[in-house]
Amino acid sequence: MTEVDVRPQPPRIRGRRQWNAVLPKLPAMLMVVPLVVVALLFIIYPLVKLGIDSFTAGEGGFSNYAAALESDAIRNSLVSTLTMSVVVTVLCLVLGGSLAWALTKARKPIHKGLLWTAVLLPFWMGVVVKSYAWAVLLAKNGLINSVLTGLGITEEPLTLLYTPLAVVLGMTYTMLPYAVLAMYPTMAGFDKELLNSAAVLGSSRTGAMCKVWLPMVRPGLVAGGAIVFAISIGFYITPVLLGGAQTPFMATVIGDDIFAYFNYPRAAASSVILLVIALTVLIVTLKAVGAKALRGGLGK
Amino acid sequence: MSHTIPGRRNRLLDRTTAILGRVLVVCAVVFLLAPALFIVVLSFSNDKRVGFPPQSWGLDRYVEIFTSGKWGAPTLLSLEIGAWVAVASLVVALPLVFALKRSSLPGRGLLEGMAIAPLVIPVSAYAVGLYAVFAQLELLGTKHGIVLAHTVHALPMVVIVLSTALDQVRPDLELAAMTMGANRLKAWTSVTVRLLAPSIIAAMLFGFISSFDEAVFITFLGGVGLVTLPKYIFDSVQYAVDPAITAMATILMLTTAGIMLLGSALRKDNK
Repeated sequence: MTEVDVRPQPPRIRGRRQWNAVLPKLPAMLMVVPLVVVALLFIIYPLVKLGIDSFTAGEGGFSNYAAALESDAIRNSLVSTLTMSVVVTVLCLVLGGSLAWALTKARKPIHKGLLWTAVLLPFWMGVVVKSYAWAVLLAKNGLINSVLTGLGITEEPLTLLYTPLAVVLGMTYTMLPYAVLAMYPTMAGFDKELLNSAAVLGSSRTGAMCKVWLPMVRPGLVAGGAIVFAISIGFYITPVLLGGAQTPFMATVIGDDIFAYFNYPRAAASSVILLVIALTVLIVTLKAVGAKALRGGLGK
Repeated sequence: MSHTIPGRRNRLLDRTTAILGRVLVVCAVVFLLAPALFIVVLSFSNDKRVGFPPQSWGLDRYVEIFTSGKWGAPTLLSLEIGAWVAVASLVVALPLVFALKRSSLPGRGLLEGMAIAPLVIPVSAYAVGLYAVFAQLELLGTKHGIVLAHTVHALPMVVIVLSTALDQVRPDLELAAMTMGANRLKAWTSVTVRLLAPSIIAAMLFGFISSFDEAVFITFLGGVGLVTLPKYIFDSVQYAVDPAITAMATILMLTTAGIMLLGSALRKDNK
């Protein structure tokens, strides 16, 4: 094929050459230039710079990591960030899984409408408005406390705001719709006849759900859970507004390092720790359930 | 054979599971609806402080929003940045999805992954990285800096909307236009982009909303001078309790809902 064709060539017809449906490489390369520039400058470079700075800024070497991990505040924050994110992930999987399954089963338009409205409602609020709504709900004179005291369950209003519980509720509220949308395609793709087949073969409904349904929807659950966890550990607004200074969270200590202590090197080290954890979780998930499930979880 | 029929114990188990499932769904629905409804209800209270149950009702908080003069500047800034982000994210995303879907360029998956990556990068860590880069490029506290950061933030959503939409437009139509004498650019602009138009508008609306609601990057990168609407609310909630925020939150919720429903409707139209 590499030999030069010496036979006389038919005249090239302009129109004919252009009937190829596949876009040639050169214009395609030009068309991806904007993304490549933006991605190199504002996605890759910031992450690489963060990594380099965490080792070179300040005293360099591992000193920034040592400073971060020797600080009780940051160590506690890391532990509580990971714990709260795990709780948020579990809540999202249980509640989101039930919602996604209910969405595939709902027949009546009113049920369908109510479920979809509930799932999409948090998307209609920015993260600040969502956190504010929860702050008002959980306040001393908020809805939850007035219901609890009104029913006589508690004498005094409980302290709900500025606790880990408040942060977990606020984060779950933000992540639940993502979890539902991530799991919905897998659940919708499940053939419900399989449950009847299992019943015919003598299984109870519960047994069929555990032994047939769960293994088949597991990739969707794992992908959804990984995405929820990776996003959760980076939350900033919700922990600041609902956790306050009392509830340790990585975002809060990173923000304080930047704005209050002007300790950028330590903030860089803390950020890299978060990034590495998120990346590890996503890569392990990718290996476990494959790229297709993970992309499905991101709405592709 | 008795074991082919679910026994009594299993029936009891099944009923318990079914009830448990239903309880979970009801809990989830209440959990999702309650905060929004609560804010809307409280916004029509005339009390001096935010509390439940409200003692007096009225439109005082809405009157306050429109007469206090505090909300105008942040709203305008948010609208301006959001509009630029809608345009900028389209400029990056539209050629990208055409190249991804219509060429055999190697590394297409990688490019698409790159555009969607900001969705799963922990945002507080990412904001620190951008903070360092912006300090170096002298973009901290500048409007175009925020537009850039918000564009990256909006990119995943815009790319996903456009690429699913372009999947629906068959390349055969472009080929047909080309056999009738159109060059590729003409075929794209007169056939494909026209079919894509509703989705392009939807993508711009989603890009706008993602910037309009964004609060983390503006906090890290905006300095003290740039106060968008979410930043203004964030600061007010952190340092004081302004009851008027309930009204602003309600207005924002309705606006966002309207824009997102319009966007979704346009996307469905495209099929």
